Amino acid sequence: MLADFIQAVQASLFWEYRKILLIGLATNFHVFGLSAVLAVALGLVACLARLSPFRSLRWGGTFYAELFRNTPEYVLLVWVHFVPPLLLTLLLHTRINFSPLFSAVAALGLASSGYFTETFRAGIQSIPRGQVEAARSTGLSGYLMFRWVIMPQAVRRILPEAMNQFISLFKSTTLVSLIAVPDLMYQVSMITQQQMRPMPLYSGAAIIYFIVILALSSLVRHMSEGWRAVGRT
Amino acid sequence: MDVFRRTIWNHRDEFLQGIVVTGQVCLIAFLVAMAIGLVVCLIRMYCRPLRWLAILYIEFCRSTPIYVQLMWVNYVWPELFGWPTAFFDAGWAALALQSSGYLAETFRAGIEGVSRGQREAALSTGLSPTLTMRWIILPQALLTMTPSLMNQFLVVVKSSSLVSVIAVPDLMYQALRLTSIWFEPIEILSFTAFLYILIVFALSAGMKWYSDRLRTRYA
Repeated sequence: MLADFIQAVQASLFWEYRKILLIGLATNFHVFGLSAVLAVALGLVACLARLSPFRSLRWGGTFYAELFRNTPEYVLLVWVHFVPPLLLTLLLHTRINFSPLFSAVAALGLASSGYFTETFRAGIQSIPRGQVEAARSTGLSGYLMFRWVIMPQAVRRILPEAMNQFISLFKSTTLVSLIAVPDLMYQVSMITQQQMRPMPLYSGAAIIYFIVILALSSLVRHMSEGWRAVGRT
Repeated sequence: MDVFRRTIWNHRDEFLQGIVVTGQVCLIAFLVAMAIGLVVCLIRMYCRPLRWLAILYIEFCRSTPIYVQLMWVNYVWPELFGWPTAFFDAGWAALALQSSGYLAETFRAGIEGVSRGQREAALSTGLSPTLTMRWIILPQALLTMTPSLMNQFLVVVKSSSLVSVIAVPDLMYQALRLTSIWFEPIEILSFTAFLYILIVFALSAGMKWYSDRLRTRYA
C-alpha cells in the first residue's frame, strides 16, 4: 500500500506547480499577518473595555468577546463577505463590494480578537492584587505602575497563550480560499480542476501545512518554556 | 418583515433539517473521535513499539487545519481506502480525525493527572491492569477531563459548518442554498449566524453548568 501511495502521490506534479503553490502559501502568511495585527488591536481594546470601571463598557467588552468566540469562523467569513457590503450599499446608495482579501482579513481578525480579549484579560487579572498594592504604596502613579509592574509580568503570562492563538489563526487562514483568496488551498483546488488528480495535490497540501504548522508550534513551545522560566524567577 | 417571512419562516423546515444534520455530524464525529482518541492515547502511553506512530498521528491531526483535512478526506481517502463514498461520511470522518488528535492528548493529561498512588494501590489489591484502568483511573480522569472534552465538542460544532463545503446538507449548507435561491443574504446569513451563536452559546452554558455540578458532587 505504501508503494501505491508513493506512486499515486506523484511528487512531480507537485514540483511542476511549485511556484504557484509557494505564492499561495505566501498569501496564507500575508492574510495571517494582517489579521493578526487586527486581532491584537481589537483584542486589546475589548480587553481594556472588559477591565474598565464602567459597567456598560464591561458589558460591551464581554458581549463582544462572547459574540466572536461563539461564531464559527466559516459562518463569520461568509457573513462579512456578503452582508456588510450590501448594508453599506443600501445606506450610502453607492455600490460597495469588499475584496476577498479585505473580507478575509476582517473576518479572521474579528473571530480571533474574541479569543485575544480573553487571553489578555486572563493574563492581566492573574497578577496578584498584592503587586498593585505594593506598587501603590511605593508611590507609583497609575501609568507607571502599569508600565513597570503589571505589564512586564502580564506579558510573560500572556505570550505563551497568545502564541497558541496565533497558530490557530494561521490554521484558519486556509478557510479564505472559500471566498476566492488565492491561498495555497485555493491554488490546489484550481489545479485539481485542471488536472483531475486530487490525490497528489490534496495530500501534498496537507503535508505542507503539517510541516509548516508543526515547525511553528514547536518553535512556540520552545519559546514559551523560556518565557515561563523567566516569569518564575 | 415580508422578506423574513418569505426567506426564513417559509423555509423553517429546511433550517430545522439543517440543524438536525449538523447535530448528527457532530455527535457521530465526537463519539468516533473519543473512541479513536482513547485507543491512540493508550497506545502512546503503554505500547512502546508503536509509540512513535501514535505521536505522529496526534501531531498530524493537531497540526493540520480542519479545512485541509476535510478536503483530504473527501478527495483522497476514497482513492486510497475506497471509503468514504458519501459526503456525509467524509464530513464526520474529517471532524473525527481532527478531534481524535486533540482528545488523545486530553486523555493523556487526564490519566497522568491521576496520582500514581491510586494505580499502585489498585494493583496491590490484586486488580489487573485492565480493571485498574477501567474502574480506578478512568473514572477519576474523566472528572478532570470533562471541561476539555466539552470544549472539544464545541470546537467540533463550530468546525462542522465547514462540511457544507462538500455538500453535506447541514445548517450552513441550507443557508447558502436559500441565499442563492432568494438572494437575500442580509436576512438569511444574519439569521444563520444568529442560530449558530445561539446553539454554541447554549451548549457552552449548559456544559459549564453540568461540569460545575459534577465537580461539586464528586470532587
